[in-house]
Amino acid sequence: MRFVGLKNFYTIFVKDERFWADLFFTLLYVGSVVVIELFLGLGLASLLSRRFRFRNFFRIIYLLPMTAPPITVAALWRMFLQPDEGVINKILGLFGLPVIKWVTDPTLARISLIIVDVWQWTPFMFLALLAALQSMPQEIYEAASVDGASRWQIFLFVTIPLLFPIIITLVLLRAIDAFKLFELVYGITGGGPAGKTESLSYYIYLRGLSYFDIGYASALSWVFLIVVLGVSISVLKSLRRKL
Amino acid sequence: MGFKKKIGVVSFWVAIIIFSIWTLFPFFMAVVTSFKKLAESYTPTFIPYLQFKPSFYAWTALWGEEFQMLSRALINSIVVGGVSSFIVLILGCLSGYALSRFIFEKWKNKDIATWILSLRMMPPAVVLIPIFLMMRTLNILDTWRSLILTHVLFNLPLAVWLAMDFFNELPKEIEESALIDGCSRFGAFLRIGLPLSSSGLVAIYILSFIFSWGEFLFAVGLTYNRAITFPVQITSLFLSTEGLNFPRVSSLTLVAITPPILLAIPLSKYLIRGLTLGAVKG
Repeated sequence: MRFVGLKNFYTIFVKDERFWADLFFTLLYVGSVVVIELFLGLGLASLLSRRFRFRNFFRIIYLLPMTAPPITVAALWRMFLQPDEGVINKILGLFGLPVIKWVTDPTLARISLIIVDVWQWTPFMFLALLAALQSMPQEIYEAASVDGASRWQIFLFVTIPLLFPIIITLVLLRAIDAFKLFELVYGITGGGPAGKTESLSYYIYLRGLSYFDIGYASALSWVFLIVVLGVSISVLKSLRRKL
Repeated sequence: MGFKKKIGVVSFWVAIIIFSIWTLFPFFMAVVTSFKKLAESYTPTFIPYLQFKPSFYAWTALWGEEFQMLSRALINSIVVGGVSSFIVLILGCLSGYALSRFIFEKWKNKDIATWILSLRMMPPAVVLIPIFLMMRTLNILDTWRSLILTHVLFNLPLAVWLAMDFFNELPKEIEESALIDGCSRFGAFLRIGLPLSSSGLVAIYILSFIFSWGEFLFAVGLTYNRAITFPVQITSLFLSTEGLNFPRVSSLTLVAITPPILLAIPLSKYLIRGLTLGAVKG
């Protein structure tokens, strides 16, 4: 190894188009999954915060995807999403719908990864929000309904503001974890088609441990770390300001 | 029951059941596919005996030529997960207790806690290369030790936070009266703090076992032969020749999914507690 000064960083910022494409995809991915999972989780949590039979049973069912190793989740979904052999297209075929090129079309491949992430991690949002909803003081709701607020109004103007600090924490935790996207890319798409689903983690892994370009991979790691820290801190700040 | 209310109840159950199907479908499909023959696995049939004749070949194949490789990988995963979670539990409890009970003057408790959590922000890909180089210099690549060390590293921050929360919830007074009665600080921690927070300890252990079991990037980077973990082992099978052999993929995946699920279902109460505690306080 030879000392090259800031050459690697110069290459990253000026010449490496692959880095910018991967950065764009990673940010897009993090943004989409966090927003979708937050809203789905919120909806489910408010459904399951009512008391009904078998509630614990459903809670355990909804928890299951989280416990599976991400790489096995990738293996399963890779199997389902195969364009010709996969079960999803077969089921669509039963209803006479056309074959969808899940992992071979650039846009659909990105959407596929987002769908799988939503499948695995919505439960996390849901469980945390459910616990938060259940620890809310009941008197506030009673007071609001005595004052004539409808259910929607209570949800929008009482529940959501009370949940806000927890939502910040959850969004932050999920965003940090979503940045680590590696297994789904590795298992489902391998970065393709045409590098459209390559995440930064995957790129660093390829550079470092496949091409053994360790110096450049380390420089990429630094840039990646700064991006993650920057996004985390700005999320934290912008959400705090709205409080 | 009024008409409007009836619609409410029905749509409530429809939503619950749709989401259950969405959640369970991949698991269900994996189980069904693992009992199919290769040719049948490409047809959309779901009910054994009625729609297709079940075959056990994907399961008996587990005892075939790959058995030794698979069982070694399974043992590696169990050892690495079990030992690293145990170390995480001990270190996490001690530091969580310290952060909860003592007041640090120079660096404030809150700053230390935030710094510890910030370690979780680091994507594994960022530290993979330096850790790889370190392990190579120490000559422990492809051993249990290298994986246990890295798994402790990335599971510890969450454990410290959870432990800190559990101890914060315990009333200090019980320990204080024990201290007055002549118990040492460590004695108070062992005899009073730990037993009272035992459900939290279970949560920490399960969570860190699940994360360690499912961890992939470090396992792929730091092991290649003797210490390879189960998920990595089966992935290398999928990505080679067996990729489109759906029954084999399903049965292997089910084996990999089972241990964390077996832990999670009976202990789900603790798991949920562990997931929520940090969040409830915000």
